[in-house]
Amino acid sequence: MTRTVRARALVLGIATALTLAACGGGSDTAATPAGGKGLEKTTIKVGALPIPDPAALYIANAKGFFKAEGLTVEPVIIQGGAAALPQIKSGALDISHTNYVSTFLAASKGEKIRVVGDVYQAAPNTFNLMVPKDSPLNSVADLKGKTVLVNTLNNIGTLTVEATMKVAGLTKDDVKFVEKPFPDMANALSTGQGDAAWMTEPFITATQSQSGFRKLADTMSGQTADLPIAAWMATDEWVQKYPKTLAAFNRAIAKAQQLVASDRKEVEAVLPTYTKIDAKTASVITLGAFPTTLNATRLQRVADLMLEYKYIQSPLDVKNILVGATG
Amino acid sequence: MIKARILRGAAGVVGFLILGELTIRFGLTDDVVFPPPSLVLWEAAALLADPVFLSGVAITLTNWALGLLASVVIAVPLGVLLGSVPPVERATRPLLEFLRPIPSVAIIPLAILLIPVDSMMKVSVIVYASLWPVLINTLYGMHDVDPLAKESLRSFGFGTLDVLRRVSLPSAAPFMLTGVRIAAGIALILAVSAELLAGGTGGIGVFVLQAGSGNRTDLILAATFWAGIIGMVANVLLVAAERRLFHWHQARTGATT
Repeated sequence: MTRTVRARALVLGIATALTLAACGGGSDTAATPAGGKGLEKTTIKVGALPIPDPAALYIANAKGFFKAEGLTVEPVIIQGGAAALPQIKSGALDISHTNYVSTFLAASKGEKIRVVGDVYQAAPNTFNLMVPKDSPLNSVADLKGKTVLVNTLNNIGTLTVEATMKVAGLTKDDVKFVEKPFPDMANALSTGQGDAAWMTEPFITATQSQSGFRKLADTMSGQTADLPIAAWMATDEWVQKYPKTLAAFNRAIAKAQQLVASDRKEVEAVLPTYTKIDAKTASVITLGAFPTTLNATRLQRVADLMLEYKYIQSPLDVKNILVGATG
Repeated sequence: MIKARILRGAAGVVGFLILGELTIRFGLTDDVVFPPPSLVLWEAAALLADPVFLSGVAITLTNWALGLLASVVIAVPLGVLLGSVPPVERATRPLLEFLRPIPSVAIIPLAILLIPVDSMMKVSVIVYASLWPVLINTLYGMHDVDPLAKESLRSFGFGTLDVLRRVSLPSAAPFMLTGVRIAAGIALILAVSAELLAGGTGGIGVFVLQAGSGNRTDLILAATFWAGIIGMVANVLLVAAERRLFHWHQARTGATT
């Protein structure tokens, strides 16, 4: 199955490249009119990170939920939500996985993007501040004057660490944030390049079991408990142009999201097919929640938090960004 | 003699791997987790049986080959034109000298924004990067043509095109191939970098993105190992092609320098 998909992707890639190299222009993914369901577009490219969040995308594909809607979905591995933004703008991707902080930051800067579906929400111990086993740090207050590693500056990591520090009476000026990719964080801490690291799964579990790392704090508690994390986004223009396609995508993915939300085994089964997280690791890592509705009230919390910590300068009404929201 | 050279090379590689293995196993503190060469080589061997990785390699190599081919198709005629018509060269040189030092990886984000077709975007940045060595070497090759040979042909009544075909092009050809060989390495760097920055449906760089998110440093290194092998094989093949096709050139430069 995967093999044929890959092979087809390869053939398509070569064919596209050859055609384009030959004629030097044009645009692919031209809308094939009507797939029997009156969809404006029957084949869409959907960007997703190779992490647990977008499990529903791969389940909907594997179980034929998209097919039943007359939709062919090609999942594309992306480098990050911020990196995917230019790709939905250029049309390289139709829809992409993203995180709310990146999306709201972009929206507050006037980018015409829309959140078209909820993907992932924090649960206890899904995003923790971790320290090596012999670290002198014992509480968040001890972070004063220390270096904290985050995967991306000015994003969810720094925002939730700030919110966590506020409880201990610290502000962002009390620590130094340094950007470091997740896979490099543990060694960076062990070699003194930082004092604590903001990690997610599978890194939390791996560093705990391999090197005896300790949890200093759960950054998704108190003010940030159950914080919405990831979403599906598309450009405003795309949403206007392909409403039926979007509706079909949403119906199919909602079915899969329902499965994911109710049965952890579904996630464990699909993870090894699109990530490098093996079945054994998948069965022990802590997973977040998979929301089944796009709820404006719940998402407004993220925007308000961003305003409070000055990630955005003026209030952002998320209702204007959401498509098909409730609440 | 060749055998001895290969043996010495192999001894160097093995020695380096053993040194790496020992350093990682005994030199590093227990707190630093890093996969030793033995594990990386094991995983690299296992990747040969992974259809997803192999189709990824095929995607990367396809982009690489298309990009390299396109850059030769563009840069060689351009280099010949610039090299044989000095006013054109003087007019375009400042622009070329400005564009050439721009780190090619830096244009990837721009390409992502401008080019909506993923494979086209990747091939384009490869072309941009590998254009320069081919172009510059072709230029040098054209400058290096023996003026006496050109004059002789002209005095026998041959036209400009004939001089180009019979003297200039054959004389510049070894330089062009050297340019292609340098470009091949650069093209591979760009092929993988573009995947690392833009993602995609498959590729060596895409595989590395997946491995990174899954906390599999061993797989990152195993994939990197194959990228290195591919670059090395491409270089060896092109060096062999140079020797075979242009042995007269090496004899000539060998005799005069």
